[in-house]
Amino acid sequence: MTLTVLLIVILLAAAAFVLGRRRAARRAEALTGRARAHSRPVQHGAYAMIWVAAPALFVLIALSILSGPISHQLIQTGQPEAVERLEGFRKNAFVADAARVADGEPAQAIWEPEVAQHLAPEGARAARIQTTLMWAGVVGALLAGLVGGLVAFMRIRPDFRARNRVEGWIVGLLLVCSAIAILTTIGIIASLLIDATRFFSAVPLPEFLFGTQWSPQTAIRADQVGSTGAFGALPLFAGTFLIMLIAMAVAAPVGLFAAIYLSEYAGAASRAIIKPVLEILAGVPTVVYGFFAALTVGPAFREGFNTLGRWLVGGPLDGLGQYLMLVQNQMALVAGAVMGIMLIPFVSSLSDDILNAVPQSLRDGSYAMGATKSETVSRVLMPAALPGVAGALLLAMSRAIGETMIVTMAAGLAARLTLNPLDTVTTVTVQIVTLLTGDQEFNSTKTLAAFGLGLTLFVVTLALNVIAQRIVQTYRQQYD
Amino acid sequence: MKQTIYRSQDGLEGGAPAAGVPAELAAAAQAATDPKGAAPVGPTKIAARDVSVFYGDKQALFDVSLDIPDKTVTALIGPSGCGKSTFLRTMNRMNDTIAGAKVTGRIEMDGEDINARSLDPVLLRARVGMVFQKPNPFPKSIFENVAYGPRIHGLTRSKDELAGVVEESLRRAGLWEEVADRLHSAGTGLSGGQQQRLVIARAIAVNPEVILMDEPCSALDPIATAKIEELIDELRERYCIVIVTHSMAQAARVSQRTAFFHMGRLVETGDTEEIFTNPRERRTLDYITGRFG
Repeated sequence: MTLTVLLIVILLAAAAFVLGRRRAARRAEALTGRARAHSRPVQHGAYAMIWVAAPALFVLIALSILSGPISHQLIQTGQPEAVERLEGFRKNAFVADAARVADGEPAQAIWEPEVAQHLAPEGARAARIQTTLMWAGVVGALLAGLVGGLVAFMRIRPDFRARNRVEGWIVGLLLVCSAIAILTTIGIIASLLIDATRFFSAVPLPEFLFGTQWSPQTAIRADQVGSTGAFGALPLFAGTFLIMLIAMAVAAPVGLFAAIYLSEYAGAASRAIIKPVLEILAGVPTVVYGFFAALTVGPAFREGFNTLGRWLVGGPLDGLGQYLMLVQNQMALVAGAVMGIMLIPFVSSLSDDILNAVPQSLRDGSYAMGATKSETVSRVLMPAALPGVAGALLLAMSRAIGETMIVTMAAGLAARLTLNPLDTVTTVTVQIVTLLTGDQEFNSTKTLAAFGLGLTLFVVTLALNVIAQRIVQTYRQQYD
Repeated sequence: MKQTIYRSQDGLEGGAPAAGVPAELAAAAQAATDPKGAAPVGPTKIAARDVSVFYGDKQALFDVSLDIPDKTVTALIGPSGCGKSTFLRTMNRMNDTIAGAKVTGRIEMDGEDINARSLDPVLLRARVGMVFQKPNPFPKSIFENVAYGPRIHGLTRSKDELAGVVEESLRRAGLWEEVADRLHSAGTGLSGGQQQRLVIARAIAVNPEVILMDEPCSALDPIATAKIEELIDELRERYCIVIVTHSMAQAARVSQRTAFFHMGRLVETGDTEEIFTNPRERRTLDYITGRFG
């Protein structure tokens, strides 16, 4: 139905365009010189079209949002007394079942006879209300379009500035789109701040930032063990930092060297192969990296370390061997290494852009001095590109910190304050996931802790991004 | 050079300046050549024979044969896209750095084929310095810019020696007085004219035999241009200099030999005085009098 109405609105708008254009053309026909029409007929047509489409669409959108609550309200009022007496959630179930019965399907719940007798008539009434609302919407939308079109039509005169009016509408449309993006961001930050404040009123900020114990499991009953929970996030920060370091140790050199190869050494042929492959790597969903880490890399690493451990046991490094034999699938090294692989295309494509932005004249100057390619790269290009590359690495860091899927699947859950890459660690993002998935009560300190972590994460990545953007920007200006 | 439009004339032969050549140009050319008359042209340093350059399928240079004498400034002139810069870049094999570029023919420097397989272009470029249109100091200090060549080629054995080379090069480029007190500030912070003299200092720091200049003054103001031209005149005593220029007046002022290129071909070459007073070819006359280009 909505689709049909949409089609009608589009047709009406098209008709308004054609008619408006013709009307404007006819009115302007005899005019010449100074009296010439201000805007071209096409612009008058576009103006009329907007005035048909905009009000109609506005009414359609408004009603599609409001019709749910309105019909709910209408159905609720005027129900028979027997239904009226039901509890809130049963009342909702009754309304749903009434709709089913009206459609000829059996009811899902078993109702007492005094309620059941109202099912069919109430269902029919609900259907009537909904149909009425729908038709009201359709008529309202078409009416709004027609009235709008009429108003626009009356305005079409040679001296009417349709061109500027259309421009105004376009500005408005663009403004609304950017406002949506900004308002959403503000909304996210606000909800984060509000819930985080609630969390920090329960757990003091210093305890959260510097506490070394993380065990958010609060007891359901007061007599259980560990009923309070501990919210020291330091182990999470340590885990996040450790995995980020490992990821950067992989991504920074590999990505950077790949970028250097691509921008300075690769011929057109090898570039045509490597670039798309890197883009494929960038397009792999992180969940795929996640199970690659958990099911392939993790077991392989464990196997390798365990074998090494068996070798070492009994020798001079017996203690180390004992330890290596007990290494598990989940460890910071696996998550970090796979995350590093994920970041390679990110680092390399950013660095590639930055190297390409270094003016050719610098390369020419260096080659003309008799420098080789690698001398040119290390002595001229890298110093010139360094700020930009630093910015790119900061951006990669902020992605590594915010990355969730790989660590959820491969890093583990144990909140341990360690810098040992073979240990299982947990990260801020992993903890947010575990705190908020499954059935949760939304007012406990445990769930609110997720917002505290989220806010911390947000602040850190925002700071990294701002610094990185600054650096990259000043670098760009240098060569513009 | 579009300010004077002359009608076509015929008197292309004879010793007196051909009708149509602006008197200032002819006078400048005469002064640059030598006050005493004889052109002080050294022995041939670079000999090009039938040099053609292709960029992919497009031929940019057609069978150019030209002798470039030592201790002389040779100007390459011609309208945009005539191949003069392309020819310049064959002499230090900079065309190698352009994908799809191919050079045929023979270029000899002191009798040695510079396109020979056995010759390392990296070493060739240490002997043939180059200065570009836009000053391109590296994003390093003034000192490090000049020290770049000596460092990568390992020319000096001690810090003091390197400092000596840097000072000497900056002096020869006429920049020492202006930067002596800020050797370690950024080379990119200098003015355009100073930057261009800095890259000249950078080029001469490795003691090259030839200096190629690709429109070295086109991005500079008249005062900076005058300084560079003065410098070129001084450098002539030690080096073989080849300069590409769009300015007829500059070619007349600084060069002793001139080669006129058009449409990828070498049209005419000779003593600068000769070219600017009495060109043999009609096209040369048309170009230097500003009728096209």
